[in-house]
Amino acid sequence: MLLQQLVNGITLGAIYTLIALSFSLVMGILGVLNLAIAELFMLGGYFGFVAISAGLPLPIALLFGMAGSAILAGVIEKIGYQPFRNTTVVTPMLSTLGFSIILQNVATNLWGSDPLQLSDEVLGGRFMIGPIGISAMQLTLLGATVILVALLAFVVQRTSIGRALRAVAENRDVARLLGVSADRVTLLAFMLSGALAGAAGVLISLHYGAITPYIGVEIGLKAIAVMVVGGTTRIWGALIAGPLIGVVEVITIAYGGSQIRDFVVYGFMILILLLRPKGILGGAAADRVQRI
Amino acid sequence: MLQVRNLHVSYGSIAAVRGIDLDIAAGEIVALIGANGAGKTTIARAVAGLLPYRGEITYADRLLKPNSAERNLRLGIALVPEGRGILGSMTVQENLLMGVYTRSDRAQAADDLAEIQGRFPILATRKNTMANLLSGGEQQMLAIARALLSRPKLLLLDEPSLGLAPKMTDTVFEMIAQLRDEGLTVLLVEQKARQALKIAGRAYLMETGRILTSGLASDLVGDQLLSKAFLGGGPLPA
Repeated sequence: MLLQQLVNGITLGAIYTLIALSFSLVMGILGVLNLAIAELFMLGGYFGFVAISAGLPLPIALLFGMAGSAILAGVIEKIGYQPFRNTTVVTPMLSTLGFSIILQNVATNLWGSDPLQLSDEVLGGRFMIGPIGISAMQLTLLGATVILVALLAFVVQRTSIGRALRAVAENRDVARLLGVSADRVTLLAFMLSGALAGAAGVLISLHYGAITPYIGVEIGLKAIAVMVVGGTTRIWGALIAGPLIGVVEVITIAYGGSQIRDFVVYGFMILILLLRPKGILGGAAADRVQRI
Repeated sequence: MLQVRNLHVSYGSIAAVRGIDLDIAAGEIVALIGANGAGKTTIARAVAGLLPYRGEITYADRLLKPNSAERNLRLGIALVPEGRGILGSMTVQENLLMGVYTRSDRAQAADDLAEIQGRFPILATRKNTMANLLSGGEQQMLAIARALLSRPKLLLLDEPSLGLAPKMTDTVFEMIAQLRDEGLTVLLVEQKARQALKIAGRAYLMETGRILTSGLASDLVGDQLLSKAFLGGGPLPA
């Protein structure tokens, strides 16, 4: 029973990890909380649904969701962030809040506020490892998350554009002096972030076989708690914090009831803010080493 | 090579540079000296393209646009900023790789990278070290090496001696003179006026946003204005 909950918690945690990475990519580079990410995650789910319903295979649905959310993230950067670059940090946050509400509204109008359901499971099949059951879709979700995180890590740590991202995150002026177009890198960070959120949306909605316009608020925003627990200035903290929060939440539901799940998760976030503001891994020394 | 005409730079309502003219010819070291807050750094940053400004900056017969650092680097202007501008969360090697970020000639850039590591052996030895763990002198070497990797024609150095031990300062200044001998043009922004004037051909002396005087470095050493600008008439700092 407990082991089964752990598996379910890690599945949910994988999704949190992806969305938290999405939040902290933008946060790490610009210090801006892009609140619309939660809704890019939700829309990614709808894009995935549309693709699967059109009979496209799962990898294509995943790419479709990622591309759709990445493009929307690019639009948000151009309209909701770029014009406010030199204002206080609250202004772009407010504009992304506006975008998030508009996107939710668009989804409600396009697809209705009732949950959409898939008629068949995307990937049937269930494996039993001793007493623990894991579905093929769950395995796919976990596998895809591992691949996406590895890809992101490769891009950020090993490629020229990744170094440029990190350079802008650490010192925008120095990056510009080295020939990095900080504007282009900013747009890229938004779009990469959107792609991750979109992927998370596709994976979770296909796993549940259902989607509503409200999963952004229910699941997407919770990734902010994951980011805080992992440390807002260190994106890799999400790799630990995601599964941790997922497990905490699932175990809370199993043993305490689902009515207190948000209380526990957000309470945990506030505790971390109070006790370890740099995140669970955290001290100042860790933050000096790596920002994104 | 570089002509600055009637340059004005303000930070909000504060005028940091008020209408200065400055010229640099190819192959010379020009020192820009003056006390803290005189506006030297602002000029270097404006030329590098980090700031909006009024006035004209012409480089190699091309009018530069304000606030266009990426373009200026591609044209051949590199700035080693005050405080060195090391990317401390990256390794030494990654910092050097950022130096060739704009290079499209990959094979040549790889050769340059190897050559730079031969020239600064410490950077090769410590290539996997986090750059913020280097000593001040090593960081300055890294900053200059990284700037050279973009193959600049005009190198702007902002207070390269800041925070360095006297011996390391000598090493850095010798290196700057050597780079000049190899054909590089240098604008050297310095508070250590006497040492800067030793390697510079010409110099400009600044005070509160204006050029106080300019001329051959050798002539400026004995100038009354110079000691006045620094210490209100006292002896010139080393």
